[in-house]
Amino acid sequence: MFVKYRIFILIMITLLVLVVIISGCGAPDTEPGATPEPAPGVRNIAVILDTEEIVVFWDPSETWSNEVIAFQNVYESLLRYDPFTDTFEPILATGYSVSEDGLSWIFELREGVKFHTGNPFNAEAVKYSIDRTKELGMGSSFIWDAVEEINVLDEYTVEFVLVYPSPLDLIASAAYAAYIFDPVATEEYGREWFYEGNAAGTGPYMVESWIPMDELVLTRFDDYWGGWAQENKFEKAVYKVIQEPSTARQMIEAGQADWITMLPFEHISALEADPNISITVTPSFQNLMGLLNTEKAPLDNVLVRRALNYAFPYDSVIENVMLGYASQGRGTIPKGLWGHSEELYQYGYDLDRAAELLAEAGYPDGGFELLLTYASGNEFQRRIGELYKAELVKLGIDLELRGMPWESQWDMAKAPNPEDRQDIFVFYWWPDAPDPISWLWGLFYTEEEIGFNLSYFYNPEYDALIDEGSMLAGADRDEAIRLYAEAQQIVIDEAVSIFIYDQENVRVMRTNFKGYKDNPVYANVVFLYDCYRE
Amino acid sequence: MDYKAGVVLRDYIIRRILLGIIVLIGVTIVTFTIARVIPSEPAARWVGPKATVEQIERAREQLGLDKPLHIQYLRYMQDMVSGDWGVSIRTRQPVVRDIRNFLPASLELTITGMLIAIIIGIPLGVFSSVHKNKIPDHAVRFFSIASVSLPTFWLAMILQLIFFKELGILPLAGRVSMEVRWMMPFENITGFNSIDTLIAGNIPAFIDVSKHLILPAVTLASYPLGLITRMIRSSMLEVLGEEHIAVGRAYGLSDHLIIYRYALKNALSPTLIVVALSFSYSLAGTFLIEAIFSWPGLGYYAALSIITADYPAIMGVTILIAILYVVLNLIVDIVQAFIDPRIKIG
Repeated sequence: MFVKYRIFILIMITLLVLVVIISGCGAPDTEPGATPEPAPGVRNIAVILDTEEIVVFWDPSETWSNEVIAFQNVYESLLRYDPFTDTFEPILATGYSVSEDGLSWIFELREGVKFHTGNPFNAEAVKYSIDRTKELGMGSSFIWDAVEEINVLDEYTVEFVLVYPSPLDLIASAAYAAYIFDPVATEEYGREWFYEGNAAGTGPYMVESWIPMDELVLTRFDDYWGGWAQENKFEKAVYKVIQEPSTARQMIEAGQADWITMLPFEHISALEADPNISITVTPSFQNLMGLLNTEKAPLDNVLVRRALNYAFPYDSVIENVMLGYASQGRGTIPKGLWGHSEELYQYGYDLDRAAELLAEAGYPDGGFELLLTYASGNEFQRRIGELYKAELVKLGIDLELRGMPWESQWDMAKAPNPEDRQDIFVFYWWPDAPDPISWLWGLFYTEEEIGFNLSYFYNPEYDALIDEGSMLAGADRDEAIRLYAEAQQIVIDEAVSIFIYDQENVRVMRTNFKGYKDNPVYANVVFLYDCYRE
Repeated sequence: MDYKAGVVLRDYIIRRILLGIIVLIGVTIVTFTIARVIPSEPAARWVGPKATVEQIERAREQLGLDKPLHIQYLRYMQDMVSGDWGVSIRTRQPVVRDIRNFLPASLELTITGMLIAIIIGIPLGVFSSVHKNKIPDHAVRFFSIASVSLPTFWLAMILQLIFFKELGILPLAGRVSMEVRWMMPFENITGFNSIDTLIAGNIPAFIDVSKHLILPAVTLASYPLGLITRMIRSSMLEVLGEEHIAVGRAYGLSDHLIIYRYALKNALSPTLIVVALSFSYSLAGTFLIEAIFSWPGLGYYAALSIITADYPAIMGVTILIAILYVVLNLIVDIVQAFIDPRIKIG
């Protein structure tokens, strides 16, 4: 009997022995559950997990995507904005002044700053960087549209001349398109050099290595202008791409990672009990909206649009889909950003009121169909759509949910004939610079050619308020806020959009990872220079 | 092989290569058309999510998307032949560079997985057929059905739970530990970490790399393993029932000789095709395994390219896989002719 099975048994034993040998030897393993011992010679490493490729746009003029999470540590801009205190932190600029007409901004620059390439930072570099970004016209380069020219006044002073008044301090603090990079390296090596995985910033960390779809390693820049006096700052940072949330969760539980950008909410509650893990919840500047097609019947009737606002199950969405990590939107500007107003009217879930309004509009039993489009693959948006559909059925309205790739969703919204467009366009919005104008101008301002005003809302009174407000935003912030609130009230009265929720950021990190402060202007960024391990 | 057979083989290979090229051209036309007619705007993706209309228009010109489709196709093919497979809309990297980055990782994983499947699957199938309808046969059949039908993501997570979380003997994900990468770095020569570490003579790194390979490779092996076992078993049963085997037995040849020398050789033929096909399939179709084990391979690259309508990348991966299919099929046909004289080429 044994002879008959001997080959089989032999193979099994060999395989077993191989597995045991391979798993038994080699470098000493980290015990699951323990904090990783930094390897000798590499004192202190931060490990940050993200589900997406860390860097796509290596060119600092083009960047608008996920790379912000690493690039904010590699590149610097003139200022950094704190939305909670409404203050600016001087980074590459030590101070600035603005002329009375708001058309000339003069920045004094920090002296003794070096790029990672060893070349010196100066006013020429600022002019070169911003000019190049404007010229390339990629990503969010349009934030500089107000700038007519940049003048180098001396080695460390630079002047921005604007075509129309604009809050340049906010623009210079933008998360994207505001990086200052080395003109010498850029001219010498060109765009291709960046895309091979190189950077030429002034930030506290330099790019050490990059493996696409796997990891980006940053290492301390010894000549950083801020110095490295504090002992326990991180020597290196590893950004790892972990596509599968359950893998990411196991890594942080096992102490193999310090910080996760965003875990699906269902994992969060399971991690709350772990003493080695801390969870923070902070406002984000991302909000979800359902823009209503005001050019197509029956939504061309304001009463119907108001009814749709009252029929939306806000609380149920926040509780069941977002598991509480969001709050109902009030106007278009998200909570936490200047310009947000708690005074604005907020539609609540009230089916009776919705039915009354429908009857008043001539649809006592509903009896019409609506098409809601959302980004295909976005589970949140799909589930929200389902909940809404269930409510509208009660009013006799049949809601069709259609998940589409972003480009198709947007193409449909731009169809020449309003009848060919969707009725409700569900999508997220987030700012390019910490300025509410991003929503107010981007979503509701009159457009000649359809861009993102996908309610097709054209209101001269609204436009005038925004024009006036944006002129004042640099010089008289309070007055701008008042005008913006007035403008938002028009949008709310006209019920051109359902303001579904303002999202919250839920961060999962190891308890001994200290110094992290969430700043929604720089979405998902860990400013490594401020962090340390306890 | 005599001279005549050599000529026949050479003509056969030339004919097959020509046929392969026609197949490839067909594949490129179909893929290009599908990738470009689905509603999507690559130019919008190129410039960013909040691009202005002018920005998109400029990008369309830059990318040559304003030309008619057939011109775009001809231009693409012209560049492709000269080694320029275009620039990925999503990763911004030349597609050739992307493939060079991601292919070795996938090949390493797929080859290891297929080796596991073959090394275990063939003896298991033979073993099962020899003990037809007895307990060992039932056990193997149960095992093979299970390994074919277990959902990949489930198996992967269960393996992670057991070997990483509970036993702590195998790593969770990735291709190499961070400590090893930094403390014992090795040069990237072939892109196959296991081979590169061996070339460098870096044994601790080799062990670390091999440990990282085990769980994903076993997960990947699961499906072909069951398939191979079942194929070998049924072909073996068929062959064992044939007259020449009975004659062999009557001549008093040993069981061992009959099974491994005569029966298995004949039974291998159909299995080879299965192995070749599942190999090319696994190369870009293991997206789930790659996602769960954070394995930066071609499967995930292909999946993301499709989601984002990144047509240069879709084209690149499709052409690559099509070439592999054509080449592997050719090799299988030739090998089959060698091991089974009944199959004639020409």
